Formats: sequence, C-alpha cells, structure tokens
Amino acid sequence: MVKKKLLSVALVAVTVCSMIFTGCGSSAENTGNDTGKTDSDAQAGNTAGDVADVADDVEKPEKITIMVDGTFQATLADGQEEWVNKWEELTGIELEVIQPDHNAYYDVLGQTFASGPENWPDVVILGSSYYSGYAGEGALWDMTDAWNNSELKKNPNTDVSVVEGNMLDGHLYGLALGGGGGCMTFLRKQWLDNCGLDIPTTYEEYLEMLDAFSNGDPDGDGINGNTIGVSAAGFVGNEAPYTNYLPEFYQDAYPSFYQGEDGVWRDGFTEDSMKEAIKRLQDAYNKGYIDKESLTNATSNCRTKFMEGEFGAFTYWAGGWSDQLSDGLAANGQDSELVFMPPIAEVGKYWQRCAPVYAITSSCKNPEGVFKYFLESIFDDGDMETLWIYGVEGVHWSRQAETVCGNTYQDGEFHMMEMRSQPGVQYTTIIMGDTNICPLTERLVPVKKYTEESMEIFNANNKTAPLPVTTDMMSQYNGDLTSLKNSIIADCVVQGVSVEEGYKRFEQEGGAEWSQAIVDSLNNK
Amino acid sequence: MKEKGKTLPKRTPGGTAFKHARAYRGVYLMATPVLVAALIFYYLPMFGIRYAFFTYKGINDPIFVGMKHFVKMFSMPGFWKAFSNTLVLSITKLILNTGAAVIISVLLNELIFLKLKKVFQTIVYIPHFMSWVVAASIFSMILSPTSAGLVNDVLMKLHLITDNIYFLGDQKWWRFSYYIINVWKDTGWGTIIFMATLAGISPELYEAASMDGANRFQKMIYITLPALNNTIVTVLVLNLAKVMNLFESVFVLQNDAVIKVSDVLQTYIYTQTFNSGAIPDYGYTTAVGMFSSIISCILVLVCNRVSHKTRGRGIV
Repeated sequence: MVKKKLLSVALVAVTVCSMIFTGCGSSAENTGNDTGKTDSDAQAGNTAGDVADVADDVEKPEKITIMVDGTFQATLADGQEEWVNKWEELTGIELEVIQPDHNAYYDVLGQTFASGPENWPDVVILGSSYYSGYAGEGALWDMTDAWNNSELKKNPNTDVSVVEGNMLDGHLYGLALGGGGGCMTFLRKQWLDNCGLDIPTTYEEYLEMLDAFSNGDPDGDGINGNTIGVSAAGFVGNEAPYTNYLPEFYQDAYPSFYQGEDGVWRDGFTEDSMKEAIKRLQDAYNKGYIDKESLTNATSNCRTKFMEGEFGAFTYWAGGWSDQLSDGLAANGQDSELVFMPPIAEVGKYWQRCAPVYAITSSCKNPEGVFKYFLESIFDDGDMETLWIYGVEGVHWSRQAETVCGNTYQDGEFHMMEMRSQPGVQYTTIIMGDTNICPLTERLVPVKKYTEESMEIFNANNKTAPLPVTTDMMSQYNGDLTSLKNSIIADCVVQGVSVEEGYKRFEQEGGAEWSQAIVDSLNNK
Repeated sequence: MKEKGKTLPKRTPGGTAFKHARAYRGVYLMATPVLVAALIFYYLPMFGIRYAFFTYKGINDPIFVGMKHFVKMFSMPGFWKAFSNTLVLSITKLILNTGAAVIISVLLNELIFLKLKKVFQTIVYIPHFMSWVVAASIFSMILSPTSAGLVNDVLMKLHLITDNIYFLGDQKWWRFSYYIINVWKDTGWGTIIFMATLAGISPELYEAASMDGANRFQKMIYITLPALNNTIVTVLVLNLAKVMNLFESVFVLQNDAVIKVSDVLQTYIYTQTFNSGAIPDYGYTTAVGMFSSIISCILVLVCNRVSHKTRGRGIV
C-alpha cells in the first residue's frame, strides 16, 4: 500500500517536473546573441551596408534582443514591426524587441533578471534609480573601454559629458542617448501683464507674483481670488531629483542622498536647508499660493488645470511640452502666450534629471558587437539616426504632398505622419529626441517656437541631478525611510504639523538612525 | 459516473483501491489536468517562501540569513502600523459593507413593483464593475477640497463648514471617506446573496403574520431579519478570512499625508519593493508576505471554528 502511494506520488512529481522543464528549456538559444559573423561576412550579406561598413575585430552579432519601456515609442500599435524591419535591413542583424507595459516595466525586468542569466536580454533600458543597482550587482557589462575606444566618443559633435555623467567610480555601464531633461517654470504672460508684474528673479518677487495670481484677478474675469498661483503633482517626486516640480520652494535643499564636493555622502533631508524648504512650502500652502489639491494631483491633472486657466505658474518639462501646453491653452479659449522664467536667484540652476541609459547585460555573449552594432551605430548622422529619431518613412514620416492633422505639406517637404495609436495627433519623435548626444547635422523638422525658447533657457541654466547610488543598507532601509520623509513633508505642509514636530517624528520613528546607517554605508563603500 | 451494466467495486480497507481507481479511471483522468495545474500554479510557487530566510535581489544567488528579516520586520514601526491599519480598515469595511448590504437587501425586498426593484438592483450593482482606479478618480473630484468638489460645495452652501475639507488628504477624514467609497462600490454586489436568501423565505410566514395583525415593519423585524441571520454570519465568517488581502482600494486612494492611517501590509510590501530607490531585497518583502499569509491561515482556522459553532459545519 505504502509502495503504491509512493509510486503515485513519484509519478505525479515526474509529470510535473517534465512539464516544467519542457517549458523552461532552450532559453539560452533564444537570447540569440550568438556571434559568428565577422565584418567581412556582414558586408557580404548586407548590401545596404550603411552600418556594416566598419572594419575591425569586433564580431557582428546575428541577433540582438532588447527589453524596452514605453519611451521606446515605436510600439506595436505605432509601427514597431516596420521599425524593426528597417533596422534589420540597415544592419543585417535580427532584432527582437520585448516591450512590457510601461508601468510594469521594472517589475517585468526584475522578474526577467530573477529567472536567470540565460533569459536576460542583450540590452535593457534603465532609469537612474535602477542603473547603479543593477551595475552594482554585476548584471551589466562594463562598457568603459568600448566607449573610450569608440568613434562616437571621438566625434566632436558628441556631448561626452551627458554620457560620462553616468559613470560609476570611473566605469560606464550604460549609454545615455540624450540628456535626461528637466523642468523649468512656465508663466502665463497675460496674467503677468494683467497684474503689472515682470518675470520674477528672486523668491520674494516669485511670492509677490503668486500672491497676485492667487488673490488678484490675473485672468481679468472681474473676480478676485478665483485662480491659483502654482500647482504640482505632489510635494516631492519619486525619482531623482525629487524636487523638480517645486524648485522655487526647495531652492538648495535636496531630500535624498548626495555626494558633496568634498566627496562625502550626506542625507539632504537632515540638513537645515530642507527644514527651511518645508517651512517655505508650508507658508505658501497656508496662504493659498499652492493648489490645495497638489498632494493628490497627477501630472495630467496639473496639465489640464493649467490649460483650463486655473493657475498661472507651472514648473514642467522644458522642450516640447511648452508648445503642447500653449496649444492646450488656445484649445480651451485661453490666451496661449507663455513666458519662461529663468531660475530665480535662490534656485541658481534647474535640475536636469539623470538620463536613462541603454545598458548591455553581463550575460550578453558578444557585448562589444552589441555596443558597436546596436548602440554606436545609432549615431551615424544618416539613415540609422533618422530611424531612431523619426522612425520609418511611410509609417512615421513622409515627404509626400498631403494634409496631416490639418497641416498641409508640399511635395518633398519632410513631415511627421498621423499617429496610428492616436488619430488626429502627429508623431513628434519616435524613440530618441532630435536633441540627443550627437544630433543630426541637418535637422529634418523645424523646432517650434516655445520648444526652442524653453530649451535655450533650460540648457543655459541647469545642473545634473546626483546619480542615485545604492548599497545593501539602502536596499534594507530606504523604502521605509523614503515613506517616512515623504509623510513628514506632507504632514508639515498639509496637516499643519510644525517642522520641529515633523523632525521629532523623524528621530522617534527611526528615520535618523536609518539615514545615518545609509550615509555610513555610502561613505564606506 | 456509474458505468452501465457494471457493479463498481467498493473501496475497502482490504486493498481494492487499485480496482476502484481503474473503475473510475475516466474521472481520475479528467481530474489529472486540474491536479497538475494546481500543483504547478498554486503549490510550486510556494517554494518561493524560502526566500524569507535569504537575502535575494533577483540577480545573484540568494544568501541565507536565517531569521534576520523577521527580526527587522518586527522592529520596524512602519510594519506594525501597516499591520494594525490592515486589521482596522478591513474589519471595519467588512462590518459596514455587510450591514449596508443587509439594509439595502431588506429595503429592496420591500419594493412591490418588480420592474422598479430590478432598476434599483441594477443601479446598486453597477459600481462593483467599475475599476478602483476609475472609482478613485471620481471620488477625488467629488471630494475635492476646492469649490469644484461637490461635497465641499454643498457643505459650504449649507453653512455647515467654513473651510473646505481635504477628505482624501487629511488623516482625520481619510478613513471615513475610504469606508464610504467602499460601501458605495461593494454594497450592491453584497446584496446578491441576501436577496437570494430573502427569496427563499416562505410567503406563508408573511401571510400568517398578516393574519395575526403584524404590520410591514413588524414582519421585517420578526420574519425577514431572523431569516437572514445565518447568511449574515456566513458572509462575515467567509470574508473574515480575507481581511489581509487589502491592496487595490487603498493603493489608489492613499497619499503621503495619510500614510499613517492608510498604509496596509500589501501597500507596505509594494513600497518596500518599488520605492526603496535601490534594487529591493525580495527576502524582506517575502518575509512580510509570509507573515501576512500566516495571519490569514490563523483567521481561516478561527473562522472555521466559529462556523462550526454557529452553523454546525465548517468552511474548509
């Protein structure tokens, strides 16, 4: 009887195991980063030859697998198949794109890494919060030598500082295709004019403007106090630089860990500058200068409110968004003229976000080949770069005489086509922005007025946010610590808790202890 | 499943199990895929529990750390706050939702016009089919602390308040708002089981009560509600076992200002995993999840015991 039972259990176990192992097998072959073709093979088999026209010892991969988030805008709904076909035509390499849902990207990426190196893609996109963590765990290939020896670095048009801003202890593990972008403050010109104000240059003037926007009649509808000064999606962000939506209030304060000029790591939250910043936020919130709903606002709510004329000062992403917001104002029957506020004296410079990177995983069998044929090849100042910026001709852009979304184009005039996923909207750029680390010599799409103006001011007035670095101690405590910090900021600003009480709570609930432990781990790294 | 013309062998302690299995082979064959699927999808993943005793970031091999994560967990104020919030929010929600479902069911039962009854039933069911994200967006607008917020606007116009209330951003108001939103969303669905019970009450009882001179209120008190007693206990007992599974409704409604009163174990795990600014240690979050599962198991066993006592039969 016992034997029979054991036999039946064994049979079930064998069945289950066979099913599992059948499902899990042969993934190593699927990574497909087998090498085998040399440049000469590549040239022979690639008549287009645009990219393969290189001669050195780097072997050409037969297949490359990449995992990308939603910033890779050639999605399945927006011509990914055609994009991949064009890329393969230009390189003679097979390309597999794995694109999970944008919001679940890091979840899926984590699961993929956890499933074992044989399942890792060759290339992944990583935001700043994850980049150093994965590099520290040895999951990313060190591309320092490849970068130092690359033609891309030698190209005088390449913005080397953006790429090397992602170096960790002198090593590079990911290539940023462009800057991380950043936020700057947009103002409604009509509101400033109606209040008889100039663009603020100091915090005092900024507050004066917010007071006029909140208590006066900036929109000229004859009613005082039915508008708001400024709004934001939350009081503190969840990725570096955290303070970018309300820079005028944070000024020199930084709520997370940063390395000072003396090389010593500190937690900005524990510094007096942060306490002063919270007081400024509290004061402005109590006076009604900051939107009461800021705590629960999503960025989309803020955009809508701004475009509907509910508030007049909006700190948002420099570049294309400025024109989109202006268009939105016009669509809502508002005056659409914007002015861009250079950072006030107390802010000094706006934050530029750490750029996300394309990293090669350490399980990639031919990382040098992937670097050369997938990453470096992007910046050829020709067909490949055009493909990365503007996409595929006939799918994303065209030169035919036609009317697209109400805009009429002459024969031969370069223009973007109507989005497949959003009829009525034209594509802008597809994967990489046209202001990338090594832009096309000849720009194909003219830059819009506000985009150019805002980028000019932003480019002249920004500093890059500290690259988040991770330690074991940070993995252990930073989740609790960040929740506590954010809760204290919200308590002080919204719930009326004094800053002193807030920091007392920080001590009582272990925040100070965790913070010190993390600082020590960073300094002893 | 008895095969025609055959007498199926009885299963006896003497060893006819093989014959029994052979006779019922069709049934066992049909059950096999379910058994295999259950093993693969429900039981094999349970081996992941071992990570509660390891440090594991999903890249390199796990490192055994023994009870370290549990020691840390029990020393973290955030964990205990999340645990107590889970119990308070879940149990209060359960009582309120069940109470509201009973009241609405009884009131619906009193409606004489069948079409009207169906219309009302449909209206109260609909919110259940709405996603929590949509529900949160709707209530963010309704409860907005500005003149655009319906509730604040009404309260101001009635001179009941002088300043707008930030229902979803104020610790004093958040839980109240949360319960109301939950009652609005889930009460209708909860009425289904009570309506089914009410449909089973013999009309003769009401007729007899009428002959005895009972009015509608008395019939409701002395016939309807006692008939629902057993179902109410069943619903409470069954749902009590699920009190630790609270995530979506809290996640979409919470924010930094109310984290002290709203953070529950599932959102705590989420924060630890995705908000640490570093690659999370899955070992710690697995330990928290394991603790939550153990509490759930205990609750199931307690409920089973209570069910035995109150209904004469268990739930597992």
